[in-house]
Amino acid sequence: MTSSAPVLLEMRSITKEFPGVKALADVNLVVRSGEIHAICGENGAGKSTLMKVLSGVYPYGSYSGDIIYQGSESRFPDIRSSEHAGIVIIHQELALVPGMSITENLFLGNEPKKFGAIDWQAANKKAYELMALVGLKEDPDTLIKDIGVGKQQLVEIAKAFAKDVKLLILDEPTAALNENDSRHLLDLLRGFKDRGITSIMISHKLNEIEAIADTITILRDGRTIESLDVKDDGVNEDRIVRGMVGRDLNSRFPDHTPNIGEVFFEVRNWTVRHPISADRLVCKNSSFNVRRGEIVGFAGLMGAGRTELAMSIFGRSYGTWLSGHIFKDGQEIELKSVASAIKHGLAYVSEDRKAIGLNLLDDIKTSMVAAKLSKISRNGVLDQVKEHTYAETYRQSLRVKTPTVDEGVTKLSGGNQQKVVLAKWMFTDPDLLILDEPTRGIDVGAKYEIYGIIQKLAEQGKGVIVISSELPELIGLCDRIYTVFEGTITGDVARRDANPELLMKQMTSTKKMPTP
Amino acid sequence: MSRIKDLQKNLFGGTTSNARQFGMIFALAAVVLFFEIKTGGLTLTSRNLIAVVSQYSYILILAIGMLMVIVAGHIDLSVGSVAAFVGIIVAKAMQEWNLPWWLAILLGLGVGALVGAWQGFWVAYIGVPAFIVTLAGMLLFRGGNQYIGNADSVPVPKAFREIGAGYLPEVGPSSIPYNNLTLLLGLAACLAVAYREYRARQTRVAMGAEPTPVWVSLIRLAVMLGVIIFATLRFAGGPRGTSFPVSGIILTVLVIAYAFFTRNTAGGRYIYAVGGNARAAELSGVRLKRVNFFVMMNMSVLAALAGMIFVARSAASGPQDGLSWELDAIAAVFIGGAAVSGGLGTISGSIVGGLVMALLSNGLQLTGTGSDMVQIIKGLFLLAAVAFDVYNKSQGRFSIIGSLSKPFRRESTGGPSATSGTGQEAAKTPVAG
Amino acid sequence: MRKFLTRSLAVSAVALLALSSAACGDSDRDAGSSPSGGAAKGFAADSLIGVALPSKTSENWVLAGDLFTNGLKDAGFKSDVQYAGASTTVADQQAQISAMVTKGAKVIVIGATDAAQLSTQVKAAKDAGAKVIAYDRLITNTPDLDYYVAFDNFKVGQLQGQALVDGMKAKKATGPWTIELFSGSPDDNNAGVFFNGAMDVLNPLIAKGDIIVGSGQKDVKQTAIQGWKAEGAQSRMDSLLTSTYTGAKTLDGVLSPNDTLARAIITSIKGANKPLPVVTGQDSEVESVKSIMAGEQYSTINKDTRKLVAETINMVKALQGGNEPTINDTKSYNNGSKIIPSFLLAPVIVTKANAAEAYANDPKLSPLTK
Repeated sequence: MTSSAPVLLEMRSITKEFPGVKALADVNLVVRSGEIHAICGENGAGKSTLMKVLSGVYPYGSYSGDIIYQGSESRFPDIRSSEHAGIVIIHQELALVPGMSITENLFLGNEPKKFGAIDWQAANKKAYELMALVGLKEDPDTLIKDIGVGKQQLVEIAKAFAKDVKLLILDEPTAALNENDSRHLLDLLRGFKDRGITSIMISHKLNEIEAIADTITILRDGRTIESLDVKDDGVNEDRIVRGMVGRDLNSRFPDHTPNIGEVFFEVRNWTVRHPISADRLVCKNSSFNVRRGEIVGFAGLMGAGRTELAMSIFGRSYGTWLSGHIFKDGQEIELKSVASAIKHGLAYVSEDRKAIGLNLLDDIKTSMVAAKLSKISRNGVLDQVKEHTYAETYRQSLRVKTPTVDEGVTKLSGGNQQKVVLAKWMFTDPDLLILDEPTRGIDVGAKYEIYGIIQKLAEQGKGVIVISSELPELIGLCDRIYTVFEGTITGDVARRDANPELLMKQMTSTKKMPTP
Repeated sequence: MSRIKDLQKNLFGGTTSNARQFGMIFALAAVVLFFEIKTGGLTLTSRNLIAVVSQYSYILILAIGMLMVIVAGHIDLSVGSVAAFVGIIVAKAMQEWNLPWWLAILLGLGVGALVGAWQGFWVAYIGVPAFIVTLAGMLLFRGGNQYIGNADSVPVPKAFREIGAGYLPEVGPSSIPYNNLTLLLGLAACLAVAYREYRARQTRVAMGAEPTPVWVSLIRLAVMLGVIIFATLRFAGGPRGTSFPVSGIILTVLVIAYAFFTRNTAGGRYIYAVGGNARAAELSGVRLKRVNFFVMMNMSVLAALAGMIFVARSAASGPQDGLSWELDAIAAVFIGGAAVSGGLGTISGSIVGGLVMALLSNGLQLTGTGSDMVQIIKGLFLLAAVAFDVYNKSQGRFSIIGSLSKPFRRESTGGPSATSGTGQEAAKTPVAG
Repeated sequence: MRKFLTRSLAVSAVALLALSSAACGDSDRDAGSSPSGGAAKGFAADSLIGVALPSKTSENWVLAGDLFTNGLKDAGFKSDVQYAGASTTVADQQAQISAMVTKGAKVIVIGATDAAQLSTQVKAAKDAGAKVIAYDRLITNTPDLDYYVAFDNFKVGQLQGQALVDGMKAKKATGPWTIELFSGSPDDNNAGVFFNGAMDVLNPLIAKGDIIVGSGQKDVKQTAIQGWKAEGAQSRMDSLLTSTYTGAKTLDGVLSPNDTLARAIITSIKGANKPLPVVTGQDSEVESVKSIMAGEQYSTINKDTRKLVAETINMVKALQGGNEPTINDTKSYNNGSKIIPSFLLAPVIVTKANAAEAYANDPKLSPLTK
């Protein structure tokens, strides 16, 4: 049906250069009316850049090539004019004001006015209509910061409808969402399609793309590789992966033979209070252990308390500690600060690289050594040769894609940034690494490499905890998986017993399952 | 590009925001040249250079501390008041208790440390924004100055005046028409610079990186030695009895020490880490509170020192001491390339920024410009310097030097294919926020 | 690439040449090494004269600046007249004086913003061979100041005291007279000088019993008005009237240090419905001159800025010719390091009787006296 529909948008030979880098080289894209068009590619392939060209973030003149939209050439000088033409882009980082209500956000910069003053009555009425469109049930006066990420995403989409959207562009819309919210969002997109709205979607989640897209355009290294029709070309995940990385990935996970030793790290009856609401416990009597050489997964829905558990163990970096004990190598240890946690051989790789994992102003080598400067300094004076040497070693062993370790970390793609963060924590010589969503926002090729690094760490006899929202990842990678629900550990599943159904059941039930 | 990058890197310290500093060196040279012509050669006379150093050294000392405060993501509005507060205490102590000068200096530094501990406590351990704490401090210590001094001027004894108005003494043979100690100092500086250049090359070899091309090293060395020799002869050739000011020596020692601290020690790096991303630093084991406490306290100690130098130079402590010093220090830091949001900036950059402002004021005064116009011109200059850089960044050009070196750009940056547009934008634009 | 190399080489070569030639060229060491061997030398008739004044907060300073600019020009000098900035007065003035020294000014006239904080600059000026004249405000804490030009503030006080006595005699030929005393702000050095001058005249009469201070408040601390504030004087007078001058007791005179306070005192007395006593003043403010012509305030003091500037320029001229400038006081003004040779201008007391004559040359005040 789509192949016969009229062309809504055609981008021809788009080339965009940044100083020293060609981000897009001769890229072509054809989007037909009423379809869901997915754009795939590894991070740094040029997907976001292409969308920024389309939406006028990079104005006409800063790129070469033509944009034919609704049959005529468009030259957008800014975002406003592209929005005026009905092209609305929803960025990965949501553009909402946390301290304002849903209504205020919906009409920010676009407020309905009566006699020059904002007509709040009309605004609220319209807000209800828009929220109904995206299936959001909330009081429009609720503040954005008080609703979850999934609902925030819906607000962002509703905002697009407030602007009379014809072409909706979504950049990684489900990256921060849990499975339920993701499913709801995808259903919504299908609904839009039925109403004749065209969507372009950038995503790393290949199963979603396979499920929802009509057409897929694959970019690699700033070039168009191919455009696939999902129905006609018999597209499946492996087919897409091959296009993205230019080769087949036999398996999503590297080969690995576990060599598991005895329990060396144990947490007993860990209870932690929420930092602000005194009556809310984010961890309740949680107990778990890790063996040497073991990869342990933590599965749970968003807000289950996995990150909070990890951070509260890591030097009490979250909440208020109430009770519980930590044992390492049979000795009870107290980790009252991050520094002492590091000293006792713990490392925590946070889920949000950009917000709390890295100093984005730093260069690669500075980031890599940041968590243990004592290792490269004598009497507090840094040895810059040593720093460079260590960084260079990690660059090679982790295969960080960069010409030198003097580059700024912002110049790296997500996957390579994650490798830098891993290096930063490997540099501290930890015995236990806690990795929180280690592959979030990372493309397939880099994921494979990160899995390899994790397995190698385990092979060196270190314990690794992996927190992830993607069940296939946990099942493929981990030797054992704990499930977490509402701050309580609800299950302990060995690899051979693990399957998505069982895990999901335990992740959504307070009832403690017997350990198999 | 890489050549110019090397040049930048070795002229200054850090990895980022070099470009603005490099631009500021040009601005400094341009300001000097402009006024040298405009005043018929008065700007670079011995007498004037000596006067400029002793007149602005205390502002530059403040700029050192302010740079660290701003890099850590704070601000300190109280420095002028703290300087005045310490000044009056020191002056009174010497007048009423006949404290010897060296004890008075120790007392002043001690009071500075106490004041700093007070402000650091509120900022680091209670979490009150530094803007508020130091705004309160500005009122508090200004009031303290007037309370103790009864809004009157209190003279200080001769020996104490040396730290603000003194010069290197005349030693050795007087047959040479120069101050011998200043000549020795210049010689030492030349040797140090040459040695540093040699060491920098060694380090690059040890890192396995390609050493800076020899011609770059030589040109850089020639320029720096030329500047040092010129300055030495000028400072040594002032009227008999004058030479390189004592306050200038204090400043030089502090600049070298703090530049080393911020670039080459773990403690210095913690400050950048806290300013760049406080949460990330905390999760990397940096003791956030300790760092914040330290930068605030350090600032007040330096303010105390600056206050004493000013009092020494003025021969008395007065109720107007330190008025709007904070603004001069902050301006120097931002002209020198620091970011309002923290995490970026270098000591050397701030010093260059401060020197640009100092020579601008001095040049304007030499041309007989009224203080009203001097202020207007300085304000516009500050705005223009920062705006020019922000504009350049927003245009995708990296900055001043980037645009100067356009023809060379292509050759060296065949670079990272992983680079994407998004990454570059995520980088903080200095002062934009 | 090659182009860049040759270019930068050329640039740095030129820079180095320029630097070294400039560096080897001149040393100030011997040029300025003969520090001022006595006054009898003089200097070129078109030399630069620097004038550093406080910020433009009072009309008097603005007028003085204009008069200096024009007067020095008429005398054939080059002039550099600078005001300190409004917020950074001391530091500005220090920098301005340094710049004047660098520019080779032969005489530097300073109206100090802070009397005690200029010694380093004054020394630098002296070392460079320049003469320094303190204008209106004495510079303390330095042995390097050459001259001081000002109105005689002690004399101002004496004239005020005398005017008070004369005024009361004219109303009531014989004593005893009852008076009250007011003085200026305690943090102003001049306030004490005025008061002491006045008491120099009044004390003998008080001792004889011819004059009685009704409230008994004779100490400068009791009579001071903080910040020269009009409302302070008015409320003090109000309370004096209610505490001391109830019933038949009459007040014959009030010593007021300046015009602003004088008018506040008169307002207070009028408000209490008492007969107006003799009230002195100072500064020749427009409102007070009107009040004198209307027969309310008794006297004021005229300190003519024109005369003070003219006298300063005369000093500069004398120095230029290599002559010792005229001074009329070599013992009154000790600045803490030495006694400064001074030229003190006599202030003029103005009452209704001599107002027309005293303000004949003042375009603003002379119409009021007709």
